[in-house]
Amino acid sequence: MALKVMVCDDSMFVRKKMKDAVAAAGATEIIEAADGQQAIDKYKAEKPDLVFMDIIMPVKSGVEALTEIKAFDSSAKVVMASSVGTQENLKEAIMAGAYDFLQKPIANEDVAKIVSKASQ
Amino acid sequence: MFTQFFGNYLLHQQLVSPEHLSEVLQTMKTTRLKLGVLAINAGFMTAEQVEKAHNEQQRVDKRIGDVMVDMGFLTKDQVESLFQTQPAGHLLLGQALVDNGYMTNTQFEQALNSYKQENSISENDFNDGSDEAAARLVKHFYNFSGGTNSAYMTNYVSLLFKNLIRFIGDDFTPMDAKPVCDEISNCVVQRIEGGLSAITIIDADTSAMIEFASRFAKEELTDDDEYTQACVSEFINLHNGLFAVNMSNDTGIELKLEPQCYYDNMDISELKNACVIPVCFSFGVVNFIVSF
Repeated sequence: MALKVMVCDDSMFVRKKMKDAVAAAGATEIIEAADGQQAIDKYKAEKPDLVFMDIIMPVKSGVEALTEIKAFDSSAKVVMASSVGTQENLKEAIMAGAYDFLQKPIANEDVAKIVSKASQ
Repeated sequence: MFTQFFGNYLLHQQLVSPEHLSEVLQTMKTTRLKLGVLAINAGFMTAEQVEKAHNEQQRVDKRIGDVMVDMGFLTKDQVESLFQTQPAGHLLLGQALVDNGYMTNTQFEQALNSYKQENSISENDFNDGSDEAAARLVKHFYNFSGGTNSAYMTNYVSLLFKNLIRFIGDDFTPMDAKPVCDEISNCVVQRIEGGLSAITIIDADTSAMIEFASRFAKEELTDDDEYTQACVSEFINLHNGLFAVNMSNDTGIELKLEPQCYYDNMDISELKNACVIPVCFSFGVVNFIVSF
């Protein structure tokens, strides 16, 4: 089954690790974005099935990008990822419509579980 | 962490030179623990008895454990239990120093006992130190000046050493803190805002930066390029993120991390109150600069 996934993180290193993880989990097409604005623009153009979004990013933060993406497409599945897994960040992400939350460092098994859940 | 500070203690006591310490950090991974060092650490034998047993072994054709039992220094059960001891870092460090001739067994015994006594460290702390014990050790070694920020510094630095062990490796010695006075080049920076403001920086020369990034990424990197900088940036982001979680849980203070950036030459005028904590790894020195 085709599964288009977008990986948004300002870190080239994290994008590479995330791409490896989502490819191993069954993504058939992977798109990258390096900041919040790129994430919004690419979402609108590509309509991916699933998005992994870092929170701390330049230009626009991950939560700002999430809010705009949800305004554009209320059914968007956006997973927020952050090294700062505080209750406050978690709450903010859920309030903005996050599909799930990943605490960094990201474990490939957690990515695989989310990809599997989103594919169903 | 108790192991890493043992290296710092040996330097302070001038029992080992920085050059010799750096040299043995590189050989520690291949060092094999010997019964004498294990027996001294367990308190079963004195260094003098170990020396006597080694001298005796040169005269008779027997294994060192049997010689120690024959001489009445150890029981067979003690020999068995020592052979089952996990190779803890401080013992490997001591063994490597003894093997290289930089310390005698007697100096190792005295240094280890003094270090444990002065810092109220138990043998269990070496293997599984609590956060409180680790923070106590950091506070004792660094003595950050008073006030609330000094408590944050202690927690920040304790967590830093734990994360270095977790993500980079345990072959390092924390060096004494110092103010920022030299120019900072080739560094990654992350600012923290919210309940308190801080600047956090990782600075190292090219080869140390590449090796640090390689270990974090678990990849063989060869160039000091954008990818290497991204790896080091992610380490500082991860560490600061975990610190922010602790601050939120322990104090209710919410922190906001800014995106990391890279500077090849940083203006140090805003770092007047910053503290440089150099960490001597087997591959070179990495400086952690923090200003709360």
